Amino acid sequence: MKRFLLVRGAELIALLVLAAIPLFITNPFALGLLTLLAIYGILLIGLDVTVGYLGQVNLGQAAFLGIGAYTSGLLVMNGGYGILPALGAAFVLCLILGSLLALPALRLEGPQFALATLSFGALAVTVLNEWEDLTLGAQGLSINRPALFGHTLDAAWFYWLCVALLALVWLGMRNLLSSQWGRAFEALRDSPIATDAMGVGTYRHKVIAFAFGSALGGLAGGLYSFNFQYLQPHSFTYELMVILLLGVVLGGRKSLWGAVVGAAFIVLLPNLLSNQSMFRLFSIVGFIIAFAGVVQGLKDRTVFRFQTLAPVIAMGMLVVGSFTVEHTEDWRKAIFALMLFSVVVGLPEGLMGYAGKMLTQLFRVPGAPLPPASNLDDVVPLQNADGSALLELKDLKRHFGGVKAVDGVNLVVKAGTVHGLIGPNGSGKSTAVNVISGLYTPTSGQLLLDGKELPYGSLYQVAGAGVSRTFQNLQLFGELSALDNVMVALRDTYKMPWPLVLLGLARNEEHKAQADALALLQLVGLEAQARIKAKDLTYGAQRFLEIARALARKPRLLILDEPAAGLAHPDAHNLVEIIRRIHGRGISIVLIEHHMDVVTALCNTVTVLDGGQVIAEGPAEEVKRNPKVVEAYLGAAA
Amino acid sequence: MGLVYALVAYGFQLTYATSKSINFGQGELVMLSAFCSLTLLDWGVPYWLMIPLGLIIGALLGLVVERAAVRLALEQKSEGWILLTIIFGLFAFSLAENIWGRDDRPFPTPIPSDSFSVFGVDLTWLEVSVAIGVFGIMGLIELFKRRTLLGKAFEAVSADRDAAELMGISATQTVMLSYGLSGVVAALAGILISPITTVGPTMAMMLILKAFSVAVVAGLNSGFGVVLVGLVLGALENLASLYLGSGWREAPGLILLIMALALRPNGIFGKATIRKV
Repeated sequence: MKRFLLVRGAELIALLVLAAIPLFITNPFALGLLTLLAIYGILLIGLDVTVGYLGQVNLGQAAFLGIGAYTSGLLVMNGGYGILPALGAAFVLCLILGSLLALPALRLEGPQFALATLSFGALAVTVLNEWEDLTLGAQGLSINRPALFGHTLDAAWFYWLCVALLALVWLGMRNLLSSQWGRAFEALRDSPIATDAMGVGTYRHKVIAFAFGSALGGLAGGLYSFNFQYLQPHSFTYELMVILLLGVVLGGRKSLWGAVVGAAFIVLLPNLLSNQSMFRLFSIVGFIIAFAGVVQGLKDRTVFRFQTLAPVIAMGMLVVGSFTVEHTEDWRKAIFALMLFSVVVGLPEGLMGYAGKMLTQLFRVPGAPLPPASNLDDVVPLQNADGSALLELKDLKRHFGGVKAVDGVNLVVKAGTVHGLIGPNGSGKSTAVNVISGLYTPTSGQLLLDGKELPYGSLYQVAGAGVSRTFQNLQLFGELSALDNVMVALRDTYKMPWPLVLLGLARNEEHKAQADALALLQLVGLEAQARIKAKDLTYGAQRFLEIARALARKPRLLILDEPAAGLAHPDAHNLVEIIRRIHGRGISIVLIEHHMDVVTALCNTVTVLDGGQVIAEGPAEEVKRNPKVVEAYLGAAA
Repeated sequence: MGLVYALVAYGFQLTYATSKSINFGQGELVMLSAFCSLTLLDWGVPYWLMIPLGLIIGALLGLVVERAAVRLALEQKSEGWILLTIIFGLFAFSLAENIWGRDDRPFPTPIPSDSFSVFGVDLTWLEVSVAIGVFGIMGLIELFKRRTLLGKAFEAVSADRDAAELMGISATQTVMLSYGLSGVVAALAGILISPITTVGPTMAMMLILKAFSVAVVAGLNSGFGVVLVGLVLGALENLASLYLGSGWREAPGLILLIMALALRPNGIFGKATIRKV
């Protein structure tokens, strides 16, 4: 509660201060800067969705600003629309264009994504420039600011409109990020494979996130056009994009505060540069900060690293430049470059990321209390285990080039059983599981769940069909807490469409989800560690967390891929207990394991693979004595 | 023209192979090398001596990018190299603007620009020189990669960085070498293209978009692909400016890029990687 008050209090004060400024300052120039700050705030919050939360370098936001600006401007000038419909149209158009761009572009990662957005940006400017009938091209387009509800918007009122919209965007974004959506964004950055395997749908979330961020760019563009009342295609090129990136990175990624601080910085920067003595002062302060970083770095580490020195060199160049260069305006880009470089290298988390860390150290406030755990029967209902065939593999094959990893496997897993899958290394167990769970497409053969064919080659669709899995090499969402790891995977819990989530209507869903997730953590004995980040848990706890997360899918069939690998003895004992409890709920389990004691203790039936083929099947004790199995493990008797 | 795009794109492939990173400032590298070479000519350095000097300058610039941007980011294990190389480009752009001015300048060359015709196709000696230069340098580098031990190290680092390190190959030095080579390639591209297009700070942006398109459409691991796609793109551009007006010149490349990414994310000649868990 205390944390809540502190955070909300700070937000409210900031808003009130911003809103009160026009009452005291009437200087039109200062007011113009503040208006631009609010507009860029919206723009950067939108950009931060891709740059911060999706972790991709997005070079297309300047284009969306331009498209939004031209849309609003043209609707007002040629269509005679009012200010709100024009802004709405800019938002919607950019939402649509954003989705269209995202559909191909978001199948890419890293550099290819950056390239695709860069190309889109260049293409947009070309179109704005060349479509002269509509945009008047390089001549530029003049726009009158229309009235709002018959009320003429002077500078102060327009400023208030921008601040109000910024506050709305802020609220909506916060609601979105504290919901399942925010969790999904974090999850898919940590492990896209697990996100798909948990049925969250990586691609869908990415596309919507990108489209929404682009739509905010469009909205900001609309405001931009009414602010300057004159548009030119060349305002929206690569250079602006780099400056916007500077804002987000400098302010701090993954932070609403960071976006607004970044916006303030890029709005004020050009004015700083035009004043020589201010610029000198500023670069010296920057140099001192960077230098303090080096001193700190030297104290903490004995190793001297280029990384700590680089920002100092860059800031040093800036200081020298500020005293030797006559026309700082001409060197604007180089100055941007030096500052951005120092921030990226020296303060990778940005100003607000850094400030946030300091503040949480100053005010140690506990997180909000958790609701009591739900009844486990409501979360994972008991399933009837009638012993019918649940999963059937018919002559399943998966070849990689000439390697026949799985070569004609027939297998039936009966409902309500624990089915062991064992075999020496390289016998095809993991490949078989990867084919079943949809990571690989089978080369040939059939997969049936309850007699119905499973979707092939899509983790997401297989997860939807009721098959859930854990991973041999852990695929947890490291940055999320244990509780969030489970919450993100909960099935049939989040039904609110995202426009309503923006309005903050998902709170009840959230509480229910917390309670449900807590029940699952209790099942694996991790309820006390609910708030700890997954990457900070012990190895054994991480294995158990994966199982809890897989259970959140409420699966018909749970596939455990070597859950005991690397576990200490007491943990292995706990594991057996946990699997028994899960089995007790009627969930069928496929267990891949090397530890024969675990297999013997749990499995009703064991299938042995070797060289991609089934060599034995039956109860554990019987299989262990099968000469073929002994031969596969120990080699042929001489 | 298309061949020069291919050459710049080839520079991306070199560095992508070893470090999985691309220099977003490659266009600026071409531009800076071209300007430096031009300055050498102004100082009275003969053309044929200027070429090796220009290539050395390119290599040095490539090394600067590697040290100041790529290695820093890779040490932090982040995708920050995209940002850092963009920043390098911005800095280089501003530097060129202030040292050499914003205007485009002609680049003298001893190669005659008169045309002749072979099998009914009009060619200029300049174009022939571009083709010879592009195929020459790409051939040399490919030979180096396939025939020498150091070249094998390239392949090794590309396949598995950690394993290569364990086998006694310094991955850092290999990445440095690849950036150096990539700088050489950029410098040559600058020297070859400048007589045709003139030299100016804005040439960087234009070149890099094209080269990106070519590299991504062809795939980041296909030397043969970039040449083919580069030629196709060059032809498409001329068609677009002929039929739609010169302002639309850039458009086909960009559309081609977005479409190719949608249909073949790994490039037409690229290979898909198998996901593992």
